[in-house]
Amino acid sequence: MYVVVGWLDEFLWGALVVLQIFMVGMTMAVIWGLLGAAAKLSKIPVFSVLASVYTTVFRAVPELLVLLIFYFGSAITLTAIAKLINPDIQFVDIPPFWAGSFAISLIIGAYAAETFRGAFQGVDPGQIKAARSLGMSATHTFFYVRLPQMWRLALPGFGNHMLSMMKDTALISVIGVEEILYTAEIATSITMQPFTMYMVVAIIYLVFTTVIMAIIQVLEKTANRHLESV
Amino acid sequence: MIETKSTPIIQLQKVDKFFGEFQALKNVNLEVHKGQKVVVCGPSGSGKSTMIHCINRLEKHDNGRIVVAGIELNDSLKNIDAVRSEIGMVFQQFNLFPHLKVIDNLMLAPRLVRKVKKAEARKIAMTYLERVHIPEQAEKYPIQLSGGQQQRVAIARALCMNPEIMLFDEPTSALDPEMISEVLDVMVELAKEGMTMICVTHEMGFARSVADLMVFMDEGEIVESAVPDDFFANPKSERTKLFLSQILSH
Ligand SMILES: Nc1ncnc2c1ncn2[C@@H]1O[C@H](COP(=O)(O)OP(=O)(O)OP(=O)(O)O)[C@@H](O)[C@H]1O
Ligand SMILES: [Mg+2]
Repeated sequence: MYVVVGWLDEFLWGALVVLQIFMVGMTMAVIWGLLGAAAKLSKIPVFSVLASVYTTVFRAVPELLVLLIFYFGSAITLTAIAKLINPDIQFVDIPPFWAGSFAISLIIGAYAAETFRGAFQGVDPGQIKAARSLGMSATHTFFYVRLPQMWRLALPGFGNHMLSMMKDTALISVIGVEEILYTAEIATSITMQPFTMYMVVAIIYLVFTTVIMAIIQVLEKTANRHLESV
Repeated sequence: MIETKSTPIIQLQKVDKFFGEFQALKNVNLEVHKGQKVVVCGPSGSGKSTMIHCINRLEKHDNGRIVVAGIELNDSLKNIDAVRSEIGMVFQQFNLFPHLKVIDNLMLAPRLVRKVKKAEARKIAMTYLERVHIPEQAEKYPIQLSGGQQQRVAIARALCMNPEIMLFDEPTSALDPEMISEVLDVMVELAKEGMTMICVTHEMGFARSVADLMVFMDEGEIVESAVPDDFFANPKSERTKLFLSQILSH
């Protein structure tokens, strides 16, 4: 274990990168999820069809492949465009951090779209009727009646998406983002201690996911408070 | 009553309503004057709920006219929310907002729709909770209340908007028998205070004691409407007779 100490700085920085990817990716995933859910519920066929294609494709293709295709696909396209302007340019890419966060946010967003749609439909239509009958506008009804109940219904699924997102950050090392798995690979190539290095990575992930699970539990308790009789 | 000669507060003329191919309302005509109490009955699927929903435009009618408090309900109507806030509605399943305490259920619409200040809204809410005899439940969540209490909260919630008209859609059908009277009592009190009411109910005791007009619906039509004495003593239509014999026999 002593060898790890020499790599502590790198692992800490790597852990920070993981957190950044998680935050950025999760934020984008929520946006894709909300847009996807809204499109799926839309009465306009183009939107609902597009949303179905999106959620189907991104849930069907292996996540690593999505990441690779997105990163190299965008790099090839950008390089081709850049070469038109300046033929001397060899390679242009989207910074791996952003390309990676974006790609996994699309995957998690596809799952989140299903969760959000289910939560939207899970709110009793009778309550929506009641709100409208009181003269509340559609907007007020959404924000004061539907949304507060939606997040309770969405929480279990959403908690799982957060865990998936956290674990998917490990994929991004393949496109060269210097996070903890990448650090472990470098460290292994020098120290020849793969088991130790990968255990460190596992422990860091375990800490992160445990914290996420604890947060979800607290949120679920808060959200269900009003459903406990007496 | 002199007022019965004035223009009705609710007017349905030749109203049709379709769900796809299915016609849920057929040529429905109804006039309700201010302060009148109308009790609507009829077999399941006869269009009672649909008619009530059309009156506050939770459903749009397809043909005919509906005029409520002088406002015609049609597509050119700009502010349906304003009309709805004048019409209280009580549902079979209570439809309280489960994530809000009783007091907040009552305060929500006055605050958002009427822009009433928080303290004022609370005062109004407490007044109506006292009217339905459960001020002590204000800080509880709906699920902590019995069915009868929940329905009284729902009535109070509608009253907080100070509506001109109250619509009841089978308010006691989902209740255990021992809780029916506490809800009916509140409705009788409301009727005595002069509220204009349309009640879909099969509580014929309640109907006899408060109704000015009985309406019997079947297959989307108003088959018969009459004052209670005539309605119960000499129903004209065979369908009404059959329905009454079934409902009064148990
Ligand atoms: N949203 C809808 N879509 C399609 N059909 C509907 C819809 N709402 C009601 N209906 C149909 O219209 C008819 C009348 O329904 P309505 O709910 O008005 O009956 P009701 O008299 O209130 O019956 P109940 O006593 O069961 O409440 C029924 O046949 C019902 O199936
Ligand atoms: Mg009904």
